[in-house]
Amino acid sequence: MSNLSRRNFIQLGVAGGALLAAGEGIISPSLAGAVKLKRGGKDYNFITFAKRESIPTACLSCVTRCAAMGYVEGGKLVKLESNPKSNRTKGKMCAKGHSGINDEYFPDRILYPLKRAGKRGEGKWKRISWDKAITEISGKLKKLRDEGTPEKFMFHYGTMRASSEKLIKDVFLATYGSGTIGNHTSTSTSAKKVAQELTWGKFFDNWDFDNTKYVLNFGSNVQEAHINHVPCSNRLIKSRVEKGVKSVTFDVRFSNTAAKSSEWVPIKPGTDGAVALAMCNVIMQNDLHDKEFFKFIRTTENVNDSTDNKVAALKSHLSQYTPAWAEKISGVSASKIESIAKEFARAKPGVVISFRVAIAHYNGVETERAIQMLAAITGNIDNPGGRCRGVKPEWKYPEGPKDKPAAKRLEIVDGTGVALPTHHVSHEAFKMIKDGSKGRPDVYMWYCYNPVYVNGETKEIAAILKDETMLPFTVACTNVYDESSKLADIILPDATYMERWDWEDNYSPSQIPEYYIRQPLVKPLGEARDFGDVVIELADKMGMPLGVGASKEEFVSKSCDMTPAVKAAGGLAHMKEKGVLYDKKATPNFNGYKKEARTDGATLDEATGVYWKGSGDYTKTKGAYKQYVGQKIGDKVYEGFKPDKLNKTGYFELYSALMKDKGFSPLPTWLPIPEHEKMKSGELVLTTYKVAIHILSRSSHRKWISEVFHDNPGWINPQTASALGISNGDKIKVKSTVGEIVTSANVTEKIVPGVIALSFHVGREESGRYGSGRKSPEAGDNDPDLKHKFWDTYGVNSNSIIPNSSDPISGQLRCMDTVVTVTKV
Amino acid sequence: MRLQFKCKKKMIETAAQRSNIYGLLALIYRAEINKTLLQHIKEPGFLSVLSGMGAELKDDFFKRPEDELIEDLAVEYTRLFLGPGRHISPHESIHHERGDGNWGELWGADTIAVKKFIETSGLEYKSGYTGMPDHISVELEFMQEAAKREAQAREADDNDGALYCLRMEKKFISEHLKWIPVFCDKVISEAEMAFYREMAKITKNFMEFEKGEIDNYISEAEKISSSN
Repeated sequence: MSNLSRRNFIQLGVAGGALLAAGEGIISPSLAGAVKLKRGGKDYNFITFAKRESIPTACLSCVTRCAAMGYVEGGKLVKLESNPKSNRTKGKMCAKGHSGINDEYFPDRILYPLKRAGKRGEGKWKRISWDKAITEISGKLKKLRDEGTPEKFMFHYGTMRASSEKLIKDVFLATYGSGTIGNHTSTSTSAKKVAQELTWGKFFDNWDFDNTKYVLNFGSNVQEAHINHVPCSNRLIKSRVEKGVKSVTFDVRFSNTAAKSSEWVPIKPGTDGAVALAMCNVIMQNDLHDKEFFKFIRTTENVNDSTDNKVAALKSHLSQYTPAWAEKISGVSASKIESIAKEFARAKPGVVISFRVAIAHYNGVETERAIQMLAAITGNIDNPGGRCRGVKPEWKYPEGPKDKPAAKRLEIVDGTGVALPTHHVSHEAFKMIKDGSKGRPDVYMWYCYNPVYVNGETKEIAAILKDETMLPFTVACTNVYDESSKLADIILPDATYMERWDWEDNYSPSQIPEYYIRQPLVKPLGEARDFGDVVIELADKMGMPLGVGASKEEFVSKSCDMTPAVKAAGGLAHMKEKGVLYDKKATPNFNGYKKEARTDGATLDEATGVYWKGSGDYTKTKGAYKQYVGQKIGDKVYEGFKPDKLNKTGYFELYSALMKDKGFSPLPTWLPIPEHEKMKSGELVLTTYKVAIHILSRSSHRKWISEVFHDNPGWINPQTASALGISNGDKIKVKSTVGEIVTSANVTEKIVPGVIALSFHVGREESGRYGSGRKSPEAGDNDPDLKHKFWDTYGVNSNSIIPNSSDPISGQLRCMDTVVTVTKV
Repeated sequence: MRLQFKCKKKMIETAAQRSNIYGLLALIYRAEINKTLLQHIKEPGFLSVLSGMGAELKDDFFKRPEDELIEDLAVEYTRLFLGPGRHISPHESIHHERGDGNWGELWGADTIAVKKFIETSGLEYKSGYTGMPDHISVELEFMQEAAKREAQAREADDNDGALYCLRMEKKFISEHLKWIPVFCDKVISEAEMAFYREMAKITKNFMEFEKGEIDNYISEAEKISSSN
């Protein structure tokens, strides 16, 4: 009986089944219940098998803010994983998220309020009590407010989102009365945001990889970094692997996203717009456009134009952008441009995606507008499988005192000469402070932000921040001693995201909103405090109570009660237990623009065809977009593409009267990059990039990931390197008009000729021993891994040689435009 | 692409049949054979499957009056698996030779590991179950449940769920069930009644068959999971 066949077992299985089915009277089994298909959500100590406490929360390693689970044992956080209940992430977490635990326990963490003891920037500190810190800061703030100059308090923030942004900016700062508020948007998404505000009304392009048949990528490295990283990368890879969806990536660099695409098309920096325009031309001339969607598109001055006229106008405008013309500019062959354009137009549905490599240029807004046009003319807007207007949860929250003062502000956060700075031009703020003609803040406070690392010309910013005559009082709220906080007068030790409360609201890749919260996994270490709690106390001290509860926890709890969907599910108690909430039966939000609008109480603005609730000239009335109701198209009124921040019509505007008004081409057009036009032989363009395991400037102190990535040699194409006499591994100097850095050469085919690529993340002057080799003030030595640290190279900061110049339309920092010389040292 | 109907049907059947075999074997080892079970075993259809597998149950199995046969089987079961005295304890921690030497005793390291494995899967030991967590019948029953869940997932077109079950089954086979052939060899040589000897042979054969096939099941499932 040694070799029984499959057939024997099939028979035994069938006979066994009949016997088991008889049931009654047969010896009963030992096990109860059923095998559950849940993945994750529980964790055990692998030595004692004790079940660890599992607490749903939200990651804040990067701005994606994925729903997460923290596993706690004996009060210590031992592991972070994804929350398996999340529809956004489908229970996946990236390396950045897992390494969050290093953020909690790294030995250089700032745990106590510190006040400088020597000169600013000297590095001498003394511990002070929270009481003393709050008294000093609130004293200065109260004085400014009492004197009627609240604008002299400048607040500058980075990744402060959701409930933190609402409480700190919209409640605390609004109640205080200062509008001198800087952010970090100009270093990341301004050009995309403004281009989208001009075309379909509001930023966030969600890419529906679940339903798409073709992915056309202009400069997004979504597999490594994105503002909705894991939800998107996870779905893109699934569509690639499980459905064989074709993807084509245009990039100057062979990123991991390019590597995971069907095809990488190398392209010269800043020329994606030319390729997109030529593709649009090919599609229009070959009549491959989506005629139905043209009803909702505006391509001419006349808002009542017929589809035929609109198509004709666009054809005529685009006819100058031939593939042969684009080939000369971009280096991408005309035949390739033509074949991809036709393939994409026929793929239906297809999704065009885009990000910084294409957008962070002088012509970023025009490039994004051309990309929006490519999606629109092929009918891939707001449709399953296309480029969709993002959907996120709508939280309600306590808004604080009803009567808030009109905000006063110093005109230093919108840059100079920028046409539509709807998201500010904060990287120029320091130059404007130096200039002084628009006034200077008496108090400069920053949170989740490191201005001396993340902007261009970092040396100049450091010098300004150090100068007490320009900035007399500086306060940093951080848990990392970094390039900026070392120039603070007071450092407030911030709680990590594993120690605090928030409600969260990032976009949903499936077009179904997902509510989620962050709750503390452990108690704050040392004397760290959530800045949300700190502003509540500061406000109390100044005699301007916010009335939102005594703590951020209360703010979040009240928000749960005020938000109908969350309240109906059981409010905070439900959110604490499950962490996430979404309607499993909800229909994904597609094609919302096609809904007919209710025009009760609204009037028609004849010039634009907009129904709105205001009166007068819609286009010229400040903030009129807030009163928008619908767009008249033919004899119907549709919800259309609702505006935000700009008074556009409800059409998908390829033709923008607002752009025309500012002296730009109303239709998307090609804008050459001035510096690139004047490049001399031997000069290169500097491009920067992010790697999959690091987070902007926020992770070099995390030992697990700095162990893997702690140096950034410059990538140079062999052809370019050979012309410059550079070999792989050579020491090289990279010099721009504002500075120079020395790194080594990585000679590789993975970058187009004429470009040098340097990663972000490293080149830290401070950030503790793992990130910079330098010990932070008051830091401990009790991390056993300090003995195992083997690296002593920390890379270079590419930002230090990037000029703080802005795209003229949105004010985006042109961090991909810098012309440099590279020489062997 | 939806799973081809024929292919899906075959995969559901395979999982269900495997589940049934595990369930049947779990029954055999769980306790002494009772009258109902014996009657089912003695049904012609069932016996022909056994004889097709070369199981020789010998005349006593067919000729002894039923009550006496039950008595004989109970005595044999006790002698083989319960003791007192020299017996073959049907627990993993006794037979599964671990590199760390933590084996050969009841309630050893593997007992805890099995309990954890089973409980992590979502199953629990019934409050009335008084045996030890790594009894052979429990381990077989776990596989019965896992394969059953796999079939259900497949039925519901939950390909990822089915694959998840299969991977769990493979992990359990490779981490735990490998002691069973060792145990079966001991039963084959010690058994006095053909019934337990033949059942041990079938068990051993099935374990070896499973070990050889599980990777094929998984790669087949992976293909499906990645093609839709």
